[in-house]
Amino acid sequence: MVLTGKPFVFCAGADIKRFVGVDPDAARAGSRAGHQLFGRIRELPYPTLAAVNGACLGGGVEIALHCDFRTISSGVRHFACPEVFLGLFPAWGGTQLAPRIAGPEAAIRFIVTNPLRQNRMLTGSEACDLGLVDVVLEPAEFLDDSIAFLFQRTRAGATGPRDSLSEGSGANDAIERARRQLDDSLHGATPAPYVALDLIEGASRWSIEEGYAAEEDAIAGLLPGRQAQASLYAFDLVERRAKRDVGKPDVETRPVRKVGIVGAGLMASQLATLFLRRLEVPIAIRDLDQEIVDRAIGSIHADLESQVQKGRYDEGKARFLGSLVTGGTTYDHFADCDLVLEAVFEEMSVKQQVFADVEAVVSPQCVLATNTSSLSITEMASELAHPERVVGLHFFNPVAVLPLVELIQTPDTDEVALATAWEVAKTLRKRPVLVKDAPAFVVNRVLTRMTTVLMDALENGNTVDETDEAILRLGLPMAPSVLLQMVGPRVANHVLHTLNESYPDRFPLSQTLANYAEGGDEIALRGDGRRTVEEIQAAALEAIADEVHHMLEEGVVASAEDIDTALLLGAGWPFFMGGVTKYLDQTGMSVRLFGQTLAETRAAAPA
Amino acid sequence: MGRELREVVYVDGVRTAFGRAGPKGLFWKTRGDDMGVKVVRELLHRNPSLPPERIGDVIFAATAQVGDQGLTMGRDVALLAGIPDTVPGFALDRMCAGALTAVTAGAGEIAMGAADVVVAGGVEHMGHHPMGAEVDFNPRFVAERLVDDSAVSMGATAENLHDRFPQLTKEDADRFAVQSQQRAAAAWANGVMRETVVPMSVFTDDGWQMAERDQFLRPDTSMDGLAELPTPFRVGGRVTAGNSAGLTDGATASLLAAEQAAADLGLEARMRLVGFAFAGVEPELMGIGPIPATKRLLDQAGMSIDDVGLFELNEPFAVQVLTWCDGMGVAPDDPRLNPYGGAIACGHPLAATGVRLMAQLAYGFRERPDVRYGLTALCVGLGMGAALLWERV
Repeated sequence: MVLTGKPFVFCAGADIKRFVGVDPDAARAGSRAGHQLFGRIRELPYPTLAAVNGACLGGGVEIALHCDFRTISSGVRHFACPEVFLGLFPAWGGTQLAPRIAGPEAAIRFIVTNPLRQNRMLTGSEACDLGLVDVVLEPAEFLDDSIAFLFQRTRAGATGPRDSLSEGSGANDAIERARRQLDDSLHGATPAPYVALDLIEGASRWSIEEGYAAEEDAIAGLLPGRQAQASLYAFDLVERRAKRDVGKPDVETRPVRKVGIVGAGLMASQLATLFLRRLEVPIAIRDLDQEIVDRAIGSIHADLESQVQKGRYDEGKARFLGSLVTGGTTYDHFADCDLVLEAVFEEMSVKQQVFADVEAVVSPQCVLATNTSSLSITEMASELAHPERVVGLHFFNPVAVLPLVELIQTPDTDEVALATAWEVAKTLRKRPVLVKDAPAFVVNRVLTRMTTVLMDALENGNTVDETDEAILRLGLPMAPSVLLQMVGPRVANHVLHTLNESYPDRFPLSQTLANYAEGGDEIALRGDGRRTVEEIQAAALEAIADEVHHMLEEGVVASAEDIDTALLLGAGWPFFMGGVTKYLDQTGMSVRLFGQTLAETRAAAPA
Repeated sequence: MGRELREVVYVDGVRTAFGRAGPKGLFWKTRGDDMGVKVVRELLHRNPSLPPERIGDVIFAATAQVGDQGLTMGRDVALLAGIPDTVPGFALDRMCAGALTAVTAGAGEIAMGAADVVVAGGVEHMGHHPMGAEVDFNPRFVAERLVDDSAVSMGATAENLHDRFPQLTKEDADRFAVQSQQRAAAAWANGVMRETVVPMSVFTDDGWQMAERDQFLRPDTSMDGLAELPTPFRVGGRVTAGNSAGLTDGATASLLAAEQAAADLGLEARMRLVGFAFAGVEPELMGIGPIPATKRLLDQAGMSIDDVGLFELNEPFAVQVLTWCDGMGVAPDDPRLNPYGGAIACGHPLAATGVRLMAQLAYGFRERPDVRYGLTALCVGLGMGAALLWERV
């Protein structure tokens, strides 16, 4: 028997929308139904082959693993079991068959490690290298060649792996290694990868029926659980909701045929590179210092050259794109820009001057955007003749990696400018989240509120290890102390000052952070209220909940979903927390603090 | 079984005027196959010593073989032109090299002794059939990344040529475009267009009109004017409407014969087909196709580029001709190259263009008695090139 898919898709797996809100019995029954159905493939009295002709995900992989042989098209670019990424594991035999077919190390990489690495997927040849499929065949006559392959294997007397058990030796080492890596990165915050490891380990001891039963028991516990349900929510946010352009005005956008970037520092040259590569339009760069401009242009050319080395561009294309970049210390090249983005020093008067200078040379329709991380954009635009064309486009560092753009509208911003900036952000392959002009917007406001709790703990006797541990135990990808160094303590302190001006009660200034900002590392002890790691974590979560509640009541964003999307895509907060509001709602903290969930919280009607 | 191949000669060739594609074009209300009929009947009128039943085949090329170009064009045109039922016909497609391929296919029939006389031509009504509009592209091209995205937009492939050959600037392309317009203007004042363009009465929104001049002539084109034009294929690009051929409606047809048959029938042989070559290149750089085609052809003939005294090259994009000049060592302003201007000034109705090149080359042989060999060449979408070498008779 040869199993294959419709053109270009083998099988993209189960409809995960149906996993939302299931109870343990339904989860168990769903797993068992798959085992019974797919198990019949293994019992067929003749050779079976899965001809993987296109995208093959999750349950699709498990169907293929139940066959005696697997061929895969060299055109396949999506072969993966993403379940662990979603807080689940492959519960239709995947954890039992992958180690039997490819060995425990390959199974761990495929089922546990890859999904945790931004849901990495395999190409056809990578799947073959990992031992999960038998052979890679060309797409043009893929099915014919697959049938021929099955005949050839059958005639040669080869048998499938039906009754083989993987060798126990080496498995335990690999699993222990993987478990230690999980502890390092996740701190036990989500059970799915650990459960998957246990099941892969069990595969070396169990019969297939015992393995099926273990999967059914495990999924009954996992799928209804907090982390899995939060992951499904997060997946829906970033894969479906973010693509629906929630909040984008339904107006005709203006074409952007030239972009000006003011500032040529590190962030500005990263932005110039991004705009050049995605928009493929002329880019004008301006800074006060020609040397800095030259360095920025040099780094753009170096990036293009590295794209040539990677085979993404041919030399001609790189040369053309490089020729589109001009720069200098004046705004001479800015006159025909359709969008100008400023990324200069975070000082209101400087940015106001930049916008005034730019407005003097560009058309009245040119969109003026700022990458400020905390300053009032309304104030920044207040002196302009055309404040309605001003928006915030707040990118996150590293620009090439983090998909979030906070798209900020002031009370004056008109719909066309907003929609045009939105389209540009999408062309840059970023995900805009619409934010009202409010101090520090979304991500920095949440992170800074969290930081105030951590600084308070430090100033009352806790160690940096303890404050880091309090946050890492939630499963966040980076220790707060490391993140602070990456963002830069000066920037962080500046954001804190901005927030302090608006909300002095919730954002007290910190002498410790001020010390860091000036290059010191001295903790400014204020008292001796040393707390446990658990207490610090609880205080941080309550502070975050409080701040999110304020933001929703102020109407900074339209809904809690926007805050979660921003934290998932801009700060890398984990799927299994669902950003943050899902976690706060699931654990009952929101109801305890506010008498309702954050999902239900909306802005008060304007007076 | 030893036998000799027969020499193939070009006897005559004509074209319609070339109109702008679209509702404002001269031919908007005229059928593509009727344009083919017009040029075939003109050939018969101009060569009255040829009994139509002696035609061995009628070969017509079209890139879009649908609608008014959809009914096996060669046969359809032959029947509509009043050629006897006994004369067969067929349609073929090699995109822009359609008419040249009709000529080489007909030459094959003649050389093999399958036909004594062949009518070969092409038609493209790009107003009715915008390029690629009726094509269902195989999704494998995208799924397996078989060709670059830019390969299906000819303008984008021209921008790619500027990328690949940075020494060829927009100014070079504009300068070539100015030259093409100036030479075409001069050509309309001398005899070449009178001899090769057949006026056709066409029905339009303004009633019946005579289509007798190409709609792309801009004799007052200047470098300054060209510098201002937008670059539709790319922001900051170099390819403009001014340095490329417009979208065109037009038809062409030629008369080919075995050299002996021409003499027997009293047909004047104008030039002899020495050889031809087709070549393939990267689809996204289709414009360089004529370079390997020309080199292969010269190799076959045992000749060098210096032995050739006239070059009729298509000009879909100025930069495309410039790459050929660069690759073959011919100066863009060489008087041997496109002496009567090119497609930038007259238009490029894809599958029809080849015979225009041949007709102008035949005229050039008469004006330049010192020249013995001439070349017709063009580039082809999806990454090909075509070159035919001719010898004066």
